[in-house]
Amino acid sequence: MPRDTNTLIAQLVADLDPVRPLRFSSGLGSALAGLGITLAVVALLFGFRHDLGTASSDPVFLLAAGLFLVLGLASAITVVIMCRPRVGSDYDGWIWAAATAALLPIAAAIVLTGRGVGSVSSAATGHGLACLASGCALSILTFAILVWWLRRGAPTSPERAGLLTGIAAGSFGIFAFTFHCTFSDIVHIGLWHSAVVVVSAAIGRLAVPRLVRW
Amino acid sequence: MKADELSLARLMVMAQAGDKQAYCTLLNECQVWLRRYFGRRVAPGQLDDLVQDTLFALHHKLATWDSTRAFMPWLAAIARYRWVDHLRKIYRADEIELAVDLAEVDEEPAIAARISLERLFAQLPDAQVRAIELVKIEGLSVSEASRACGQSESLIKVNIHRGLKRLTALIEKA
Repeated sequence: MPRDTNTLIAQLVADLDPVRPLRFSSGLGSALAGLGITLAVVALLFGFRHDLGTASSDPVFLLAAGLFLVLGLASAITVVIMCRPRVGSDYDGWIWAAATAALLPIAAAIVLTGRGVGSVSSAATGHGLACLASGCALSILTFAILVWWLRRGAPTSPERAGLLTGIAAGSFGIFAFTFHCTFSDIVHIGLWHSAVVVVSAAIGRLAVPRLVRW
Repeated sequence: MKADELSLARLMVMAQAGDKQAYCTLLNECQVWLRRYFGRRVAPGQLDDLVQDTLFALHHKLATWDSTRAFMPWLAAIARYRWVDHLRKIYRADEIELAVDLAEVDEEPAIAARISLERLFAQLPDAQVRAIELVKIEGLSVSEASRACGQSESLIKVNIHRGLKRLTALIEKA
């Protein structure tokens, strides 16, 4: 960098190329496209559960899918907004969606306490681990899209942007996988499906800041 | 001449479209504003580096400004981010000097008030504020500060560490 600021300005002016401003709709559209592709991957690789769209759809499945979708949307929207810096912006709206989604593991813990930890079979644990692994794998596309968008943007809170990227990616990943998973038990969904969001959020919080710092 | 929000926004629209003359005028106006902004927040010897660093960041993030929104809050957010980054670097090097002269606050009271140290200090415990004031602003050694305020030397160090960490988080959120 030159010592003299006027020289730097002259260099920056000479280097100027027209730019296309980042649009909120493009950012959110990219994230939703990622979700659409993730759903298609679930349909092609695993197949959707049979009771989908029928009157016999399980209410726990429907509620959980809705909560993960809302949490994913709220977090993804916040990440896209964070790409365009502005003093006085409020990035706290996602917290309410997270608080609502937290009811799933809380309910699971209450039910599990009543049933007793011994009621969890090794088969159920194995299935839970499979859901955790699949949900995390299905989060990768949304994760990559949001990180790419953040790198194009100018997030002024990289740590929070990383956390929200992880939450959005994990929520979309497990939302998509919920359409395959046939376990509609609140303990299974509340613990293992929620764990996908927690794991993804932790990875986002730890890994993303160094990727998006500018 | 002092550019207003509307003129700066118009220049920025032209700069995003590739108008070099408008961009040159915009960068010069930004330089003036940044010097005033950072002048109250960093040591004089670091002013040029921080202004240049921020202009460089502005250049690379031109696309992140949305013409439907105001220009100054965007510039202020970039300036604040560079300032926080600057504080972090100094903090890591253990050479923090929070040189803020709030007596000279002029015509940008909204932003200045939002991130002024006084306002931020109000959100820290008294012991942390006292430790930071004595060691990082008044320049006392840890042992001198310990004698001055009655906190043990290790507590002074802990309070500075926690206080500055919290301060950085508050600045980011302001």
